[in-house]
Amino acid sequence: MILLETKNLCKSFDGVKALDNVSIEVERNKLTLVMGPNGSGKSTLINAISGFIKVDSGKVIFEDRDITNREPHEIYNYGIVRTFQNPEPLKSMTVLENVLIGRKHSGEEITNALFTSRWMKEEEELVERAFKILEFLKLDHRWDHPSRALSGGQMKLLEIGRALITDPKLIIMDEPIAGVAPGLAHDIFSHVVELKNKGISFLIVEHRLDIVLKYVDNLYVMFNGSVIAHGKGRDEIEKVLNDPKVIEVYIGD
Amino acid sequence: MVELITLILFFFALYVIVSLSLNLEFGYGGIPNFGKALSVLTGALVVGGILNRLLIWYFGIEGDFISASSLAAYRMTEIVSQNPLIGLGIFLFCVTMAVVAGAIAGALSILPSAKLKGDYLGVTLLAISEVVYLILFYNTEIVGGYYGVSVPDILAFVPGEYRVYAYTVLALICALLVYLFLEKLLNSPYGRILRGHRENEDLIKAFGRDVMKLRIKTMALGSAIAAIAGVVFVFYSSSVVVNAFNRVEWTFYPFLIVLLGGKGNNKGVVLGAFIFVLLKMLIDFYKFDIKYLLHLPFEAVWLQYIVFGILALLILCYKPEGILKEEPIYTPPIKSRLKTNP
Amino acid sequence: MIDVLIGAMVWSNLLVLLALGLTMTYITTGVPNFAQASFAIVGSYIALTLLRLIGLNPYLSIPVTFILGGILGLSTYYIALKPLIKRKASIEMLMIATLAWDLILFGIIGAYSEVLSAITKKTETLFVFTSLDFNIYGIPGRLIVSSLLVLLTILGLYLLLYKTKFGIALRASMENPSLAEAMGINVENTRLFSWFLSGALACMAGSVLPYLQEIVPQTGYFIVVSIFAASIVGGLYHIVGALVGGYIIGISESLFTYILSILLGPGVLVYSKVISLLMMIATVLLHPRGITGTEMWRRVERWLNL
Repeated sequence: MILLETKNLCKSFDGVKALDNVSIEVERNKLTLVMGPNGSGKSTLINAISGFIKVDSGKVIFEDRDITNREPHEIYNYGIVRTFQNPEPLKSMTVLENVLIGRKHSGEEITNALFTSRWMKEEEELVERAFKILEFLKLDHRWDHPSRALSGGQMKLLEIGRALITDPKLIIMDEPIAGVAPGLAHDIFSHVVELKNKGISFLIVEHRLDIVLKYVDNLYVMFNGSVIAHGKGRDEIEKVLNDPKVIEVYIGD
Repeated sequence: MVELITLILFFFALYVIVSLSLNLEFGYGGIPNFGKALSVLTGALVVGGILNRLLIWYFGIEGDFISASSLAAYRMTEIVSQNPLIGLGIFLFCVTMAVVAGAIAGALSILPSAKLKGDYLGVTLLAISEVVYLILFYNTEIVGGYYGVSVPDILAFVPGEYRVYAYTVLALICALLVYLFLEKLLNSPYGRILRGHRENEDLIKAFGRDVMKLRIKTMALGSAIAAIAGVVFVFYSSSVVVNAFNRVEWTFYPFLIVLLGGKGNNKGVVLGAFIFVLLKMLIDFYKFDIKYLLHLPFEAVWLQYIVFGILALLILCYKPEGILKEEPIYTPPIKSRLKTNP
Repeated sequence: MIDVLIGAMVWSNLLVLLALGLTMTYITTGVPNFAQASFAIVGSYIALTLLRLIGLNPYLSIPVTFILGGILGLSTYYIALKPLIKRKASIEMLMIATLAWDLILFGIIGAYSEVLSAITKKTETLFVFTSLDFNIYGIPGRLIVSSLLVLLTILGLYLLLYKTKFGIALRASMENPSLAEAMGINVENTRLFSWFLSGALACMAGSVLPYLQEIVPQTGYFIVVSIFAASIVGGLYHIVGALVGGYIIGISESLFTYILSILLGPGVLVYSKVISLLMMIATVLLHPRGITGTEMWRRVERWLNL
């Protein structure tokens, strides 16, 4: 079952092709990894899918709907959320607030905000959910701390927490374990696997193959803006990793 | 002495209104509204430009705008001195118009740059505000420009010697209402999303928020509030003189107050406004003494600019969070968690 | 009509000098400097002081204003910005710092104008140099001098940026500061250089400005929008943008005012700022990176082989 696919995405910056006919598929309840050396177009790809850059041509299809070049906030409404390369928590806000802010809230409208009764029930439910998520991520004991006090790995977990409260269908993650100690990195991925089993799909861009590969279901390798190899399932992934083209790209890096 | 205290309280109230509105936009929302003066000027424009024209038309006065305004203001003041309700009615009418006009001005001024990052946003807002100011200043036909126009005394029914106190009470009431309104409004998910926008606009975009709409609405609200201060100010001084609405007094000083008191903290901003106005009024009030005492070969107002400029740099550098730090927004469900799992 | 054209050219030349500094410091430091216009007025008062106290012709005082202006630019960076940049202050805070610096300069200019009045026993809060200007075959000195200043500045910048080792490093760090830093180029040097030049060029322009219009301490508030419009319309990310934007804004402002004065009579100078504002807004809406940020400009550049 395909949840999201891109068809021949193209994007140039100043005449340089950052995306060159990129077509990928993200299957439901699977973890799809896009790997590739620096500057291969991975981040551009997820920025294009999540609406942060507009592509020159090609299509992004999500659940049979064309979502190409929509604004980021519209794409969110389809059930897609993303995390950012550098964990960017809202630093002066508390851990709890960082999770709460993930979900749109009727109390955010100026006309509603004044009347507590209009948003109180929603807020109660949201706080309840947020605490459950923080417990799941083992961050609940720090809920009232400013998020800048968290460690790098905890910030990455917090990003996942913020994504979870939106009840997403697809979570796109930009280097979720960059700069995280190996122990905690495996911890993050065990959370990801648990969520995957609960029905959430993942599209991940990551460098640290040593850690991430064993969790991956589908794999795409990008180089110079195009997909140079891909494989579905364990066996095919093995094949891709032994593909001379891929090895060359990585040695060249 | 009583005179000085009244003066301090009056300007304290005005600066509370404007700085709280800036705190909404900048302290909470992170929008660098360097065009804050525009919204205060809008309030003045409503009284000097619209109310005056309505009165001139109503009384059927002929002649150029400035002298016709004087006559209209005089006649209206006469009526108000006999009839307090009309005075208060005019005030409420002007406040309502100012809120609408302020909201429109605020929304329009951010429209060109509503999608862009902070630097373009700040530059565009400043440029729009400056150009509107310059036009209203040099073109004396719109609202009197550098000559100024008279406006009616809406508290003319209060005996002369108490009128200043009455205006001060009126200003303080407006400031209190604005404070209560904003406290209620911002201790909510709206306040939370504003702070989220300030910290990282891309993130809240990715989480489904239309940043452009949020900015436009917030600027409309902030400008509407600041316009009230403009209305109160011109009725108090019984005239509109455009110089009084310059960038230093109504953009820079509110920024200084928000930084001094603590951005994102309404109580802090009120405190900041008090400290600032106290300092400013003392310098203004004792300017001749200061000039004499320090043997200044120039007016003390220049010294005031230098002092407040240096103060702003010092705060930015050594105490950017202000006197009172920002606190998390505790909605009732979160507050109850503070008790159950601290 | 010819006077209008001369005025337009002088104003454009001065705007180019002012916008160049604004654009350069924006590129190197990432902050729009709201005190740029006040730099110019400081220059005007330095020229006035030298004229009054030692009788130096304002044109001849340009080397002095250049150097003092450079020092002013450097102190702006060292006092108002560097301490904040070290503390990783946000761009909004840096902008407030330049506003604060602008207010300090305004206070100093105002105070100084009164001090100078006390010394010379004349009113120095308002002055012009127009009557001092020379004239060659009907071409006024202000046009000759301001054009020469722009030419010399462009030539100097070109030689520096394209023909010296320091310049190549400078260009690299202006085009991509983070990459340059990674390559071991000292970005701090480019900042110092840009702030020195920004202050120097602005003060230089300021010493010619009184030949064109009356100067009062508030003049900075009057011209700041034009400078920003020039830099933004030309493109804030490209030094050449200041050149392009300076002439576009300078000429449009002058011609627009001229046409308006024919239609409405005198006293329309203030509406020139409306045209700058509208052009700036149009740029911000349609192409925030300005003319030099467009694809077409890149083609022109390639064609010129720059």
